[in-house]
Amino acid sequence: MANLTLEHVTKRYEDVTAVDDMNLDIDDGEFICLVGPSGCGKSTTMETIAGLTKPTEGTITIGDLDVTNLPPKDRGVAMVFQNIALFPHMDVYENISFGLRLRDYDPDEIDRRVEHATDVVQLEGMLDRMPEEMSGGQRQRVAIARAIVREPDVFLMDEPLANLDAKLRVHMRTELQRLHKELDTTIIYVTHDQAEAMTMSDRIAVIDGGELQQIDPPLVCYNEPANLFVAGFIGSPSMNLLPGKLTANAAETDDFSIDLDVENVPDASAGDDVTVGVRPEDVYPTDTQGAISTPSKPIHVTTDVLEPMGDQIFVYLTFDETDGGTMKGDAAGSDQLLMSVDPDREIEEDESMEVVFDRTKVHLFDSASGDALVHGVDDLSASGFESRVSDTRSGGGDE
Amino acid sequence: MATTDGSNDSTESEGGPLARWTSSVIENQEKRDRLYRALFIVAAGFFLVTTLFPFYWLLVLALTPTSQILTGDWSLPIIGIEFPHPQGFNVYAFVEMFEQVPFHLFMFNSFVLAISTTVIVLAVATLAGYVFGRLEFPGRGLLMLVVLMISYFPPAAFLVPLFDAFLGNAVVIPFLGIELFESPRLVNTPASMVLPFSALFLPLAIFILTTFYAQIPDGLEDAARVEGTTRLGALVRVIMPLSAPGLATAAVLTFITVYNEYFFSSIMALENNPENWSPLLGGILSYQTQYTTEFNLMAAASIVGVLPIVIIVIVAQERIVSGLTAGGLKE
Repeated sequence: MANLTLEHVTKRYEDVTAVDDMNLDIDDGEFICLVGPSGCGKSTTMETIAGLTKPTEGTITIGDLDVTNLPPKDRGVAMVFQNIALFPHMDVYENISFGLRLRDYDPDEIDRRVEHATDVVQLEGMLDRMPEEMSGGQRQRVAIARAIVREPDVFLMDEPLANLDAKLRVHMRTELQRLHKELDTTIIYVTHDQAEAMTMSDRIAVIDGGELQQIDPPLVCYNEPANLFVAGFIGSPSMNLLPGKLTANAAETDDFSIDLDVENVPDASAGDDVTVGVRPEDVYPTDTQGAISTPSKPIHVTTDVLEPMGDQIFVYLTFDETDGGTMKGDAAGSDQLLMSVDPDREIEEDESMEVVFDRTKVHLFDSASGDALVHGVDDLSASGFESRVSDTRSGGGDE
Repeated sequence: MATTDGSNDSTESEGGPLARWTSSVIENQEKRDRLYRALFIVAAGFFLVTTLFPFYWLLVLALTPTSQILTGDWSLPIIGIEFPHPQGFNVYAFVEMFEQVPFHLFMFNSFVLAISTTVIVLAVATLAGYVFGRLEFPGRGLLMLVVLMISYFPPAAFLVPLFDAFLGNAVVIPFLGIELFESPRLVNTPASMVLPFSALFLPLAIFILTTFYAQIPDGLEDAARVEGTTRLGALVRVIMPLSAPGLATAAVLTFITVYNEYFFSSIMALENNPENWSPLLGGILSYQTQYTTEFNLMAAASIVGVLPIVIIVIVAQERIVSGLTAGGLKE
């Protein structure tokens, strides 16, 4: 068990920079998820930690040991691969004990450890099976057993559940969490499935284009995304992001405006291009706005497509032309807004209605740089009728 | 098997016998199975006859005394048609062949040459195959082409310069007369044969192993390396076992070709003596002297010489098939 530090790690291929100046400081026993879209460099980051790829620049430290130039075998890491990568010509026992046998452990010690590892992943009685005779979930557990049997300092898991079916994936997810609790080892987990990232990790590292976008606990990434990318990536369905402009006393989009005093927005001034972000669950029909203390100005919309999910209904809304801001362009109505409502609510397609946002949950992003400006605008409005309600501020906080 | 009996010109809706037979084969599963079995027997029979007849012919010659071979009456006693069959039963030929020529020594030479060449070829081709099949580096395709180009040359092209060098003469750049180095005198030693054989058979082995090694998923090698092997260790412990069919193919091809080789060895071994590392074929030819040719002994020696290969192929084939059915490459 050890902490892990990446300092200015960069990996360049001939014409592509896969990882760009990555700095990570991971504590002992922490469960970190690296998330990002395909090709964002998360697997390359993992490979540099494992030692399978040498970084072009930067240093990697595990514990107190600079491992940047060490081969994988001397780093004290174990890895679970996306394609599981069991050795097909060895049975389960040989697979699990491979690393121990290479290190010339005492046969009794090997037996004891293998037994313990199979115990942990619940694989008793399968030691003489060949990998091809096992199901996907069983193979995955063998791979995990192979990793834990060496008692490594750091676990690396590269999308270990990606090839499993949905049900098994959820099951293995809880098993992995149990395993982490039991072993208390540092785990670095690569995934593009944000449900995995949200549920399992202590902190999420969101990566895009080889650059670290944000590393924070899951709910912080969800509630206070550092930039437009994180806002759009974390959360499913993703946050509504609507382009607009700052004026002296509002953030205006083509279809609506959010009142605020631009003086109170840090690092911004009137005339800046901003993007207004609001999550579907923070959009409310006006008749339920009693539930929130800080509603924005009502916006006229028409329902478009409904997606009943059982526990909630996703409603796609289009803006009515007569509504909102002063900057109405020709392409009015092209923007869509997604709202999630209670499943009991009766709602129909092509229904005209008014919606409001929860002002504490409205995010403003600088459109040019993508960086977040503020999370929650209820304490920003200096003037206008909405200031009446804004003194019951609840901060940009959690649900 | 189709019996074209000329009645297929019938234009009635019923069709002629051939048309009826054809449609019945198409419709009737049992008839179709019978047809396939018959076709298989014909094809396999043809193959077996063409491959096994030479062996039978060798056996006939070995068992027939020399005098009978040249003057014998080949017609079968009862039916009277001419068909090669043993004239007498002279098993003693298999003993006599060892009395006249130390044939076991020639066989030993061939074995040594074939085994050492196979070991060298596999060792070098494994490393080269790993590099070509699994590593990315600039100029890989070009380098592979150069390696393969060696196998495009006829071996005869190398013979004269190699023979000259192996005689112990200095290797000189033509026209300039600059002396590069002086080779030790290698003729009449195994080195004079193993070196050119290895060079000639390497490209094919490299090519085979490159394709096999390239198919092993990267994840397996990565897993082995994370688990504690070096790259070389991963090659030996994971990639090579999973490529066993490829290794067996390369090894068997090399071994058989060298075991049967005569062109280089007949020249590099200055005389057909076992002391000069003359191989199996040199031994067989030793039954031919200026005045006599002992066909029966040559045939007997050929049969004895072939037996080890037959055994090796049968054993290796089992290995290859078991390697394939184990699903080694499936992940």
